[in-house]
Amino acid sequence: MNISPAEAEEALGAIQVIANKTREAISKSGAYAFLIVWGVVWLLGFLSSHFISNNISGYIWLGLDIFGGLASAVIGRRMNLRVRSPSSTASGKRIAWFWLLLFLFCAAAIGVSWPVDTKQMAMFIILFVMVGWMAMGLLLRFASIGWGLAITGLALIGYFFLPDIFYLWMAILGGGGMIALGLYIRNRW
Amino acid sequence: MPDLNEIIHQTVRLRIMAALVTLAPDEEVEFTYLRDLLEVTDGNLGAHLRKLEEAEYINITKLFVERKPRTFVSATKKGRRVFEEHVEALETILKGSETRK
Repeated sequence: MNISPAEAEEALGAIQVIANKTREAISKSGAYAFLIVWGVVWLLGFLSSHFISNNISGYIWLGLDIFGGLASAVIGRRMNLRVRSPSSTASGKRIAWFWLLLFLFCAAAIGVSWPVDTKQMAMFIILFVMVGWMAMGLLLRFASIGWGLAITGLALIGYFFLPDIFYLWMAILGGGGMIALGLYIRNRW
Repeated sequence: MPDLNEIIHQTVRLRIMAALVTLAPDEEVEFTYLRDLLEVTDGNLGAHLRKLEEAEYINITKLFVERKPRTFVSATKKGRRVFEEHVEALETILKGSETRK
């Protein structure tokens, strides 16, 4: 079988394009959806903390967290239906255990520091979630530790320097930032 | 110099193999996901997959997931090796033309 150099170049180009497209499709297939879901949870949760009384806001947060957990489980399951392997199934289980343990450690840290006010509790949760995010960024390919550091930095600035609008600050920059990043990944890649 | 592989060189099959070898060796991709990725029709993809399966370059696994039939596709070791050789042959042709310039 003989082909011209131009045809060889064209074939190599087609291989490169489809290889990149495959990598991007797999990378973005779950990452952007997780970011958008949890961005919406943070946006609505922190807005409720800012505008509504603590008691009602607590219930709203509980409902949003349950929604976020269920949505994450559905997204994870859908990802496994597209590309599956024994190793990714095992990784998925380890990631689920990691987040469960992180949640328990966060609850323990809050318990040890008790009494804490709602802003301190929110800050504890943000710091633990961001540690989890950056661990995912270091271990997997879809998340960026740069964004995790940026959100942590903004949260600390809001906590120490803008206490009166801390929740609003986190709703817009934290929740809004995650939604924007999710949409960016979905559309840019 | 490795030879070009006539089965793989066909445009759609080349793209199928490029997508499959990009996955990790133990990963397999669902049929409809592959179809959307390659922007081909069900019938077209099915026909080319059969050809690649006959050559033992890919594995096709049919499963029931949540009571729905699903087809998963993966590249075999032989398929990965043959694809690498095909790419090497393409690169050799390209390098040869550049050397002559």
